[in-house]
Amino acid sequence: MKTVRSLFQGAWLIVLLLACWQALSKFRVLDPLFFPPPSVLLGTLGSLIMSGELGHQILRTLERTMVGFVGGVAAGVVVSVILAVSITLRRATQPLISALYSMPHLTLLPMLMLILGMNDVSRVLLVALATALVMVIQTSDAIRGINRDYVDMAVNYGAGSFTVIRKIYFPACLPQIFTALRLAFGRALVLTISLELLNSDDGLGSMIWNAWQTFAIEKLYVSVALAGVLGVMFQGLFQVLEKRLVPWTEPAR
Amino acid sequence: MYNHLIVTMKDAVLRCARLGLTYPDNGRSVRALTDVSFEVRHGEFVSVIGPSGCGKTTLLHVLAGLLPPTTGNVQLPESAPGLPPAASMVFQENSLFPWMTVLENAAFGLEMRKVRKAERESRTSRMLERLGLAGRERDYPRQLSAGMKQRVAVIRAFVGGGPVLLMDEPFAALDRQTRLRAQEELMDLWDAERKTVVFVTHDVDEALLLSDRIVVLSASPGTVVAEYCIGVERPRDLLWEPDEEVIGLKRRIFASLGLAVGLAQHSCAT
Repeated sequence: MKTVRSLFQGAWLIVLLLACWQALSKFRVLDPLFFPPPSVLLGTLGSLIMSGELGHQILRTLERTMVGFVGGVAAGVVVSVILAVSITLRRATQPLISALYSMPHLTLLPMLMLILGMNDVSRVLLVALATALVMVIQTSDAIRGINRDYVDMAVNYGAGSFTVIRKIYFPACLPQIFTALRLAFGRALVLTISLELLNSDDGLGSMIWNAWQTFAIEKLYVSVALAGVLGVMFQGLFQVLEKRLVPWTEPAR
Repeated sequence: MYNHLIVTMKDAVLRCARLGLTYPDNGRSVRALTDVSFEVRHGEFVSVIGPSGCGKTTLLHVLAGLLPPTTGNVQLPESAPGLPPAASMVFQENSLFPWMTVLENAAFGLEMRKVRKAERESRTSRMLERLGLAGRERDYPRQLSAGMKQRVAVIRAFVGGGPVLLMDEPFAALDRQTRLRAQEELMDLWDAERKTVVFVTHDVDEALLLSDRIVVLSASPGTVVAEYCIGVERPRDLLWEPDEEVIGLKRRIFASLGLAVGLAQHSCAT
């Protein structure tokens, strides 16, 4: 019942907009050449699914995103732990990390391609870098921000350093790590699609670009919409995971 | 005027001798504690009282072994190698781990003592039940009231802590009714387990109700200005009516704390 209601709360505006759009193109207020009605787009979506093209493109995009994301998370967590331990390294790397974090990662692509060639290795590496940066900034912040009382309490009851890491630091940082995962995945997906848009033979981004180049307007709309749907799906998935794995935090209103 | 009771006791379980603690703060060195000496006997309930900022919490951290003293030393019973320190602390705030359930929190001390899961759960559940927390074992701390949280923290100390418990104003944040109930439960628990307790508070009435002895600290730097014995059988009833002697004691404690108000009120009444 609760999920039905939250589904309704999140969907009614979109349904309303789609209905208006349908009506407006039906009565020719909107030019169906540039704004094909949702009913037509639904047909395009169906044929794209049936032909298997859509599945293939989405899988390629997800493959790049996931490989980069997982690699970036692993690297990011390792680096965060090192930076949390060493003040010297933290101070030395701080300007570099800030600079890399705040610049558009896409600008690094030409350099990477120069070194590694125009292939998926450069793309995935860039996605991993973007992911790792979000993880490093959030996780090292969480590790340093831990409440000393909890550590003192555990030590006072006889916990050794390994137990303190496992029973105190890890769970204490977990909520912020989850936020970081969600943000990082968002960044990774956006970056992957942008990279595909720029130069790639396949993937959702390349599908969008090709649709524009060949003036396949329906395909253009469908693929852009799907990029959005993909984002929403994964954000939702992370939220569900977070609720399951971090049950002690205050539920968001 | 003060009846100092710094006698060396043969059966002392906790003895701190000329403790001093200085810490750096923005280039200056701040003296938090100076020359603090007192002893606590086995099974005794000692309250440490003093104005805020007198280093009471710092003192407990030193006793718990969480802060090394700059001068002096703390003597505690040896704990066997690999076992937790002999003195366990109950914090005023953040006294429970938010990511553990009530049961896991309460059983944490036993877990650190490598007690088997089934045994620690049965021992902890029994205690939770006794203090009215039955059915809350799987809840997280955020689902508990402030009073319940402190109850769980006290249970953890009594079930899995060392022979000496260090309590840092555990009931300071509770409303008056909840606090009375918590005090009563603490007396019950103490009566059942007979652990040695060092109880920090700023509430004179709380100290009088609970303790065998009261150590008064002065403000910055904290040092012992007086020690008082309360010669009334413990545990005491909440409705305990302090006699003339205890009221006199209370007046002297107020005086030691530098509270002339307490004196004036008393002289009006008599």
